[in-house]
Amino acid sequence: MVKAKEYTCIGCPIGCPLQLIHKGSKITEISGNECDRGAKYAKQEFTDPRREFSTTVEIIGARWKRLPVKVTGPVEKGRVLDAARKIHELQVKAPVKLGQVMLKDLLGEKGIDVVACRSMEWNPSYSLSSR
Amino acid sequence: MLGRMEGKYDVVVVGGGPAGMGAALGARDSGAERVLILDREGEAGGILWQCIHSGFGLHYFREELTGPEYAQRFLEKVVDHDVDLATNSYVSGISVDSDGTKNVRVMNEKQGLVSINTKSVVLSMGCRERTRGSIRIPGTRPSGILTAGLAQKLVNLKGYLPGRRVAILGSGDIGLIMARRLILEGCEVVGVFEIMPYSNGLSRNVVQCLDDFGIPLHLSTTVAYIHGQDRVEKITVAPVGKDFKPDMSRAWEEQCDTLLLSIGLIPENELSLSLGILMDVVTGGPRVSSTLETSMPGVFASGNVLHVHDLVDFVTRESMLAGQFAGEWAQGVRRPEDNIRLLPGDNVRYCIPHTLSPEREHTVYMRCKAAMKPCRIRVGNLMEKKLRFVVPAEIIIFKIKPDLLDKFSGDSLRIDILPAKKGKRYGKG
Repeated sequence: MVKAKEYTCIGCPIGCPLQLIHKGSKITEISGNECDRGAKYAKQEFTDPRREFSTTVEIIGARWKRLPVKVTGPVEKGRVLDAARKIHELQVKAPVKLGQVMLKDLLGEKGIDVVACRSMEWNPSYSLSSR
Repeated sequence: MLGRMEGKYDVVVVGGGPAGMGAALGARDSGAERVLILDREGEAGGILWQCIHSGFGLHYFREELTGPEYAQRFLEKVVDHDVDLATNSYVSGISVDSDGTKNVRVMNEKQGLVSINTKSVVLSMGCRERTRGSIRIPGTRPSGILTAGLAQKLVNLKGYLPGRRVAILGSGDIGLIMARRLILEGCEVVGVFEIMPYSNGLSRNVVQCLDDFGIPLHLSTTVAYIHGQDRVEKITVAPVGKDFKPDMSRAWEEQCDTLLLSIGLIPENELSLSLGILMDVVTGGPRVSSTLETSMPGVFASGNVLHVHDLVDFVTRESMLAGQFAGEWAQGVRRPEDNIRLLPGDNVRYCIPHTLSPEREHTVYMRCKAAMKPCRIRVGNLMEKKLRFVVPAEIIIFKIKPDLLDKFSGDSLRIDILPAKKGKRYGKG
């Protein structure tokens, strides 16, 4: 049976309304996209929806208490919350460099790492008792 | 050099966010020798450090970066370009000598109250958020009501959660992004409430921040009452009619302990006002010429202090230009005064800059009053540009080439956004 699915593209700020026609698991037509990214997104969303995201982890001895981190590849949409929980278990110590890998192969997925989004120096005025 | 602030400067930049960093780099590029950034925070970079989501840098760096990555790349450039940078430094006033030299009064943690001598100044103080007082939400005054940006700072930098069960008023991008952030950090988000019949954020943020997590977006709905003594206990929300007044007969209650407000930004212009420069009541920022110079000679403005931008990339581009002109000014370059005024016409809320000169190319930034699609921008009788759509939440940018202005003899150019002519095909916006 032929069915249609509607998506909104998240590839760029335009946000094209996409329509995907499929017969079972076979895609027959994608429309509404202004560029190739839209078609790619609709196909990905239909077969294996994934999301990239960023969050923070605890950092000790730095200017701030949290270090911003991001995933280096998209995570299965249904596992984003699990992935975030896994990342939140991390505790790191200053200094940290921009791009430094904090966790490899997130949720066992090869090549998807968690990296620092900034450098943070050791803060000389930091002491354990001030926490 | 970091932490240094001494002697006389060519350009002093007030504020070290993306606008200030861009202006300082622009000033150095123009050949100005001594450039100083003053920032009241402990590190330059501004709001970017707390904007940990990605979506920055697509125009400028041609890749999608998070806020901290964008800030760090820029800060490294600033340091490489021998810009002096003083943090924990608050500018309390600027005075002008009879020869045009400016004295910037700064409070600094190490040097106390000092006066810094400079030839030109760039104002890049950014903006701040509108609060409950701006829209007068009725109810009690418990704790747990805060702006989305403050919540962002608490969560992303300081490691505090502002609450457990959160409602969000306003569907601008900051509100949408905070909804997702709080979910990832383990909070519940009961809903996002938007008084307008459409979301003020990008549709991709509605998809990946709300829809992905099943957070409801209630359009044409507002918070009508806040309940709770010490802490927010619940809110009354109600659909609004055409007059934007809540229809209490259809109101309902939402249990929550926190209300985040994402209801707009205001350029932070106390310093500009104290200088007595001319302001634009619509943008809330200074009036500027095509060199981004305010009504006070040698004082320039750029970034969100001038008008609220939607992308940091545009702030960077505008600020580098402001910095270049400020740097030129410090080196004695005096360009002929602008002789064409830009007038906002049909469906145009504002245009920046306020005036143009015929001698070079200009980039005009503008915002519409109401959504329209498809449509065309008409610049006097000189040019027309077709657009697929305009919405108030997205800045419109277009260029005016000098040869176009060659033919123009009037003193003002009116800009209109008009419905498309029938029967014409429209390309990309």
